[in-house]
Amino acid sequence: MALARAHLESLLRARQLDRTLTTALPPLDPRDEAALAAAGITALDATLGGGFPRGQLSELVGPRSSGRTSVVLQMIAAATSRGELVALVDVLDMLDVESAASAGIALPQLLWVRGHVVVNAGMCRDLNQRALEQAIRALTLVLQAGNFGLVVFDAAEAPAEAVRRLPFTTWMRLQRMVEGSQTACVLVGAEPMARSSAGLTLRLAGIGIGIRDQGIGISKGRDEKGIVQNGVGSSGASRFGNQLFDGLDFTARVVRARAREREEGSVALATTA
Amino acid sequence: MPSPRPPDDETTPHSLLPLPWHACLYLPPGAEATAAPPGTLTTIAEQFSPRYERHHDGLVSIDVSGLDRLLGPPRVIGEELRREAAAHGIRAHVAIARTRMAAMVAALAHPGLTVIPHGEEAAALAPLPIALLEKIISSSDAAPSADSASSALAAFKHWGLKTLGEVAALPPADLVARLGRRALEWQAMARGDDVRPLVPTLAEERFESTIDLEWPIEELEPLSFVLTRLLEPLSTRLERRDRGAAVLHVLLRLVTRLPAPAPGSGSGRSAASGWERVVYARRLELPSPMRDVRTLRTLALLDLESHPPDAAIDRVTIVIDPTPGRVLQHTLFTRAHPTPEQLSTLLARLGALMGQDRFGAPATVDTYRPGAFVMAPFSTEHRDTSPQPTAPSPQPLHAALRRCRQPVPARVAVADGRPVRVTTDRRGFTGGSVVRAAGPWRTSGEWWTSGSSGSGRSGGLVGSGQAVAAGGAGETHPTHATHPTSWNRDEWDVSLSDGAMYRIFQDRETEAWFIDAIVD
Repeated sequence: MALARAHLESLLRARQLDRTLTTALPPLDPRDEAALAAAGITALDATLGGGFPRGQLSELVGPRSSGRTSVVLQMIAAATSRGELVALVDVLDMLDVESAASAGIALPQLLWVRGHVVVNAGMCRDLNQRALEQAIRALTLVLQAGNFGLVVFDAAEAPAEAVRRLPFTTWMRLQRMVEGSQTACVLVGAEPMARSSAGLTLRLAGIGIGIRDQGIGISKGRDEKGIVQNGVGSSGASRFGNQLFDGLDFTARVVRARAREREEGSVALATTA
Repeated sequence: MPSPRPPDDETTPHSLLPLPWHACLYLPPGAEATAAPPGTLTTIAEQFSPRYERHHDGLVSIDVSGLDRLLGPPRVIGEELRREAAAHGIRAHVAIARTRMAAMVAALAHPGLTVIPHGEEAAALAPLPIALLEKIISSSDAAPSADSASSALAAFKHWGLKTLGEVAALPPADLVARLGRRALEWQAMARGDDVRPLVPTLAEERFESTIDLEWPIEELEPLSFVLTRLLEPLSTRLERRDRGAAVLHVLLRLVTRLPAPAPGSGSGRSAASGWERVVYARRLELPSPMRDVRTLRTLALLDLESHPPDAAIDRVTIVIDPTPGRVLQHTLFTRAHPTPEQLSTLLARLGALMGQDRFGAPATVDTYRPGAFVMAPFSTEHRDTSPQPTAPSPQPLHAALRRCRQPVPARVAVADGRPVRVTTDRRGFTGGSVVRAAGPWRTSGEWWTSGSSGSGRSGGLVGSGQAVAAGGAGETHPTHATHPTSWNRDEWDVSLSDGAMYRIFQDRETEAWFIDAIVD
């Protein structure tokens, strides 16, 4: 009887039917490059236990100017430096190629899929909903092709109601497609979208409003977690040193991680202009 | 000294096979060679033997072994070859010998017909000038050896050698010591010995398959089965020849019923002539040689979905332009990439879904235009770049922009020459008061191009924010074909009270404000 049960369990494991979407995945080995895709940001990778998990949907969420694009471009740069191919499904066609090149991305290794955007949809707001669904289909095609090291679905500026209107089964289907593959799939949005299908959710937030004169930071705000690095260097959401934009300060907080025992951890990050 | 020849019997020392006879046709450069259509010598050779080797348009070697039973002795075969050449309007040099090389050298050297008896090849070639050697090498050997042959010939001349016989008589060991192992091949050529066997030139095989349908089909789904049936044997043939498809031609014969002739028009058109048939052709250039049936069928169907025929199909023809197959050596130490077949299929599917100009690899442009870029075709062949031995050192995190491809019109309140409040009517860009602003940075360009005056608001809008090109399939289409290209603006980086940070600009010609990008 026990033998039959073990055999049955091994068969279910082989077909990946031994767990549900909400079941915790086995912990990831931070040294296993085949299981994790490093973001190329030392502090963030340390917080994530090595990087973003492959074979899972991960989410990178946050409001506007919270550093989402900077982190994503750095992730892509790290992936291309490892020789991987990367696909970016850009729902609203907002990639700035100069920023991508500055981040060190090997552009020939980046497949950029540009969504159709209707600037003034007016009465036809369904057009942008259709653009979002079209981008989802493009993401499906990319995941079906397989063997991309990193696939990014950038819906950061997409209307929240349009994202919410997508059927929940969409994310379950995408999760099933990416599961067991070597692809790290990252969804970028203003709010979490994949819900229980997401393996890792990283929330980014600007650290209040900071003003810097002549290069000296003066802290004027705190985030809800109170993560401030003593005022200088990372005290403001944006730095204008001597009337020059100097970069962004933000925090990254893990709010969900299915393959981790503890779902906490945050890190303060700063960009340079 | 010439090497010892086998006894004058009709067999080689080590086999019972009869020694072959080789003929060589040479058409010297001149008016005749120019006037003769390409492939004339090949056509002549095909009529005598299927085993022939085309060196170039003016030189062909033919294996004429066995023709003696049909035509007679070698001289008669040679006469027949000359007669056939004359029938084609050319006077070719013809030479026949036991070795291909001897026949080739004799054909290059002597007009008319030359027959070299067995065992006398070296003697027959011995008085020929040494300059022939360079001609032979350029005709029969690989190109990279031509340079070394030239230097060797210079050495031969420097040594005072003038004829092939003198080259053949050199001691081989000393020759190799001075000129390398290739010198042995040149010496063998001078003796008329073959350095390699004849490699028959195969006629270009045409990979074509056609099917006539009993009932015309109008949908693409049933066409899928037809394509599979046509492609499977073609794929097998390609595999046998170690070839892949470089270009896939899909020819569909479309049938349309013509309107019935008016009664009494007297046209007398029969019922059969009431159908019009036209051929609808599609041409798919494949990014890499492939012969996988599913991939080829999918690509053909996706192309037809994008460009559907406008009538029913009653005949389907597939023609494949072959190219040498792809050799892949996988490695255990690098990450697997999608195969070219997978990427080709993906790109074709994306093209059908998004449009051909909506995907590719981005590339920067040598310009100061804000937000300029071009789209390059995404390569389906990616070299397996070895992973770096150590992890790449972390790079500083750069602040990135999210570019509004069409700048968002904004209302900006200005105080003391600096923006203090930014609002828009655009959903999602509510704006707010400016907490901090950096700027302005003035930028302008291409005002010198003709017709670039950005009169009115649209000029500033498009000229400042539009991408230089968004090409499909690697083609770049500068926007100045349809839009003004100049830009002239003052840029500001502003941090608003809602926590967002934008790059805004004021068009200096229209004085209108726009949100150009989000700092993120």
